[in-house]
Amino acid sequence: MAVLHAWRAARVTPLGELHAPPRMTAVLVRLVVQVILVASLWHGLYSHAGTTAGLSEGQAVTYAVLAVLASRLRELDQYAGRDTVLQHMHFGTIVYWYLRPLPPQRYHALRALGEQVYGFAWALGGYLVCLAAGVVDPPKSAAVAGVFALSLLLGQVVLYNVMLLLDQLCFWTVRNNAAMLILIFAQNLLSGVYAPLWFFPDWFITLSGFLPFQATLSVPLSIYIGRIPLSDAGAQLAIQAGWAVALTLFTRFLWRRAARRVMSQGG
Amino acid sequence: MNAVRIAWRVTRLNFRAQLEYRTEFLLMIAIGAIWQVSVIVFATVLLTRFTGMGGWDSSEVLLIPATRMLAHGLFVLFLGRVHGSGRQIQEGRIDIYLTRPMPVHRQLQLEFFPTNAIGDLTVAVGLMVGALSRSQLDWTPGRVSYLIAAIIGGMFLEAALFTAVTCAALRFPAADYWSRWLEELLGTFGSYPLNVLPKAVGGLLTYGLPLAFVAYFPAAVLTGHAHDTGAPYWLAALSPLVGVAAYLGSRVLWRWSLRHYAGING
Repeated sequence: MAVLHAWRAARVTPLGELHAPPRMTAVLVRLVVQVILVASLWHGLYSHAGTTAGLSEGQAVTYAVLAVLASRLRELDQYAGRDTVLQHMHFGTIVYWYLRPLPPQRYHALRALGEQVYGFAWALGGYLVCLAAGVVDPPKSAAVAGVFALSLLLGQVVLYNVMLLLDQLCFWTVRNNAAMLILIFAQNLLSGVYAPLWFFPDWFITLSGFLPFQATLSVPLSIYIGRIPLSDAGAQLAIQAGWAVALTLFTRFLWRRAARRVMSQGG
Repeated sequence: MNAVRIAWRVTRLNFRAQLEYRTEFLLMIAIGAIWQVSVIVFATVLLTRFTGMGGWDSSEVLLIPATRMLAHGLFVLFLGRVHGSGRQIQEGRIDIYLTRPMPVHRQLQLEFFPTNAIGDLTVAVGLMVGALSRSQLDWTPGRVSYLIAAIIGGMFLEAALFTAVTCAALRFPAADYWSRWLEELLGTFGSYPLNVLPKAVGGLLTYGLPLAFVAYFPAAVLTGHAHDTGAPYWLAALSPLVGVAAYLGSRVLWRWSLRHYAGING
């Protein structure tokens, strides 16, 4: 029975998407155009340059295209579903999360799991098409592919917890749009979405090493393209796992504290 | 005159409303600045790693993001509420606007004060000062006038694009999804020479989505690269007018779309 409830909670957002063909078409068009633009840009930049920052043209294009595809993993329009923590806090409906037989933290995790699995289907489909078309290079070996998959999974756990922290912030602040935007910006910049971290100055790479953001995207993609060799991958996976555990414990602690702040009917 | 007085009073009230939450107010200024800094970071990283981008030297390239960011900051300040207005359409607020004795478009623009524009413009002005100080060009009155016209034209062009998306959202509320992508495209591909891209892709960003007219073409005209853009010189030179014409066209489209707006209940 618990599995059935979990399945029903997890499939809410994907079902919403599947029943909105115009939105799916928009996602498809956006993904195709974005991949073409990003691949064209990096090919164009490398047309008069050799290996830069330790990245060859193939590695840079593969990294950039995979970053575009990976961005699909958590980019559903949750706002349209009226079920974000921010909206519930604004309208005072967050209290209903605490009246169900399903604990709010589990409901939140199951919804996110459904979204990430749905997003993964998009990313995997895009990856296979790009691989067949020669837009991205395949992994160097099966071992690299395996370590990449593990690193991607750990990265998604870290990403979930980072996004959860943003949601939990709503329990403490009346308005938090700006703080959320700043953290989303930090996530995009420090995880290597805007540009591979290898292109940034050394101080920037060192700084990002102390933060969890690079564990979400930069590490798995760097393993895939071979910028992090398998001999160094163990340490990186350990750091990712460390962030995943630390953030999970912290968000669990915050869920307990957040529950004390929920008010019903004003008091 | 009365309309201007009312708009000014509403704007002042909106500004005071934003000041009610001081931390949020300061953070909104910060977010405007930070988003713009992200463009600078990206452009700087590319310029550092790939010198001579598309045949342009770095001081010439800097003129593109500076023009675009200043145009964007002015757009956010004066006409930016049209971006993301799909939410107001989804919540049925347009129906309320229709019952009031003020044009719907003006009510939409007076919805709130865009605090983040302060941060946007601060960084944009800083980047423009940096770009001009590094520029090797002779800044004659003609060049300065053209640059100002290009910034204003860029503001109108960005407003035209977002107004067109809002027109679509009046009919299909989910169309608001496109506005976020449009913002992303303008932020990334509007900030450097498009001739680094293949011709077909550059053509798409010129004639499909007229992103090239915001900053790339005006900067090309000013720096003498206009003959290498792949577009006719006269078309590149007319970029400021293209922005104004596009905005006027988008307002016509807005009026037509509003006449055909059916609302939530049909």
